[in-house]
Amino acid sequence: MASDPEPAQVSYLPWLPYWAVMEADFIQVLRSWVYRSWVLVVALTAIGLFTYRWGLHHEAKIIQPASHVIIHLMRGMMVGSVALVGVIAAGAIAAERGSLADSILSRGISRHQYYLGKWHGRLLAIMLGHALLGAIAITGARFVLHEDVTVEGGAAAVAMSGAMLAVVVSLGVMMSALFARPLAAAAALWVLLYAAGVVFGALPHSVPTPEWVLQKLPYVLKGEFTREMLVQVGMYAGGACIASAVVGMFLFSRKDI
Amino acid sequence: MAEVAAEDPVVETIQLTKIYQNRHIALNDVSLRLERGCVLGLLGANGAGKTTLLRLIIGLHRPTAGSARVFGEDMTPNSAALRRRIGYIPTNPRFPKGMTPITYLDYMAKLFGLPSDVRKPRMGMLLRAVDLLGAGGTQIDTFSNGMTARLAVATSLINDPDLLIWDEPTHGLDPEARRSMLDLIKGLSKEKTLIVSSHNLGDIDEVCNHAAVLSHGQLIYSGPLHDLKTRMRRNHYEIDVDGDQKSVTRALATIKTLGDVQHASLEHRRITLRLQEDAVASSSLAQVFQTLSDGKLTLVGIRSVGQQTEEAYLDLVEKEEQRGFTRIYRQAA
Repeated sequence: MASDPEPAQVSYLPWLPYWAVMEADFIQVLRSWVYRSWVLVVALTAIGLFTYRWGLHHEAKIIQPASHVIIHLMRGMMVGSVALVGVIAAGAIAAERGSLADSILSRGISRHQYYLGKWHGRLLAIMLGHALLGAIAITGARFVLHEDVTVEGGAAAVAMSGAMLAVVVSLGVMMSALFARPLAAAAALWVLLYAAGVVFGALPHSVPTPEWVLQKLPYVLKGEFTREMLVQVGMYAGGACIASAVVGMFLFSRKDI
Repeated sequence: MAEVAAEDPVVETIQLTKIYQNRHIALNDVSLRLERGCVLGLLGANGAGKTTLLRLIIGLHRPTAGSARVFGEDMTPNSAALRRRIGYIPTNPRFPKGMTPITYLDYMAKLFGLPSDVRKPRMGMLLRAVDLLGAGGTQIDTFSNGMTARLAVATSLINDPDLLIWDEPTHGLDPEARRSMLDLIKGLSKEKTLIVSSHNLGDIDEVCNHAAVLSHGQLIYSGPLHDLKTRMRRNHYEIDVDGDQKSVTRALATIKTLGDVQHASLEHRRITLRLQEDAVASSSLAQVFQTLSDGKLTLVGIRSVGQQTEEAYLDLVEKEEQRGFTRIYRQAA
């Protein structure tokens, strides 16, 4: 009589849990009303502003340089976006505390992978939304307004403002890992951002703070930027993102869920 | 799947202690050893520390002191490889919104790192086994308690674990679902190691072969369930007799004079008898039967009471409470 075959050895995919969390979180963010509100508010603001500026140009014949209009829009976007993006990021882990986290973190996933999955899922969704909205705004401005914006400049401006948002998202996810409630995490994020604002004011002008980036954006939009400038912004923002992730991961892996 | 080394217990906690924010001692100095093939019933009142112990074993919480070792390795929040071999059901399993059993099980299987060619067939097999194949595409939000419990069972088995940790699996189930759950545990116990926490001592009695009793965060008993039942309230019997009332009363008076009898009382035609802790039951009962025989009384039945798990558990907790400050010293096994 033939003996039973040996059970096949399962070869686990070590990074599949990370991908699963990232994918699920990305979809969850895209479906959330906060994210949809953010996209809708920014899109409506852009349409309203462009229509108004186009009207000024059409009726009063006042030239409306696209770079000026976009910088107005981006300033507004940055402030408004930070509020909503902060809420989205602060809910990443804190909103899943309790039984739901039990049913995920009790599986074959490490805290580090869970944190990375959540962080990257949120980051991807926000960056995608920001890039899409930025691209639409710049394209719209080029067609509707007086075109003084270059394609490269527009892309660089979106990348630079995106880098600032990425830092906010990273800090938000870090706070989300530290606090049990999304509201507390969002409040802590705001306190941190205000504190950072005070610190930025004391930093030398060579450091690319958010204010420095916003001041440079009109020139960047016209194509007046250097590669070094982009690298510098990327380095500082990337450094801040990685530092917040390391701190967040370390503290999250020591927390009781 | 990697095997546990022969000498390694499946679960071992060494002086495990958990203190929350320096305010609440949830678990205190718990040393427990669970061998392969055991079905451990975790008993204790609300707040006794059962869920805390399970969460420490699964790595959701970090111990304040001591350690929890699973399959011979320390369990930490980052021990993903160890958790691949564990199937866990929390007390009240909750599920992400907008998911169906198929998407949820697929997600859970991915969290274990199972490749597609393993997880897809296993998913179908489990959905069929828990009778949710027809509801595979239905939103979980609309499920009844029984269906959610079945899905939780399927989830805990998706990784074909060696160790199952089920926190109150029969909680909120109707009698039929509860019966199915207990039958499932019995079936699984043939090939897996299980830890089942429950308030329902009848459930524990039916499916477990080992027990651990927690009281106020302290482990007051750990060992075979049979030992728990026999060591508690032993030498406690109920004897039903038939005969005239005067003879019964006379026999009771004689029984009370017997050396090993601690307590004897009569209610209708039932004599409740408690012997000394160290009495040899067989010889003492022989004397009692002789007395009944001398009184021309008919023995209708004899029952050893206090052998039920519930009695044993309550007695154990009661004794622990009565120990007062002597609890400082460890109770002899």
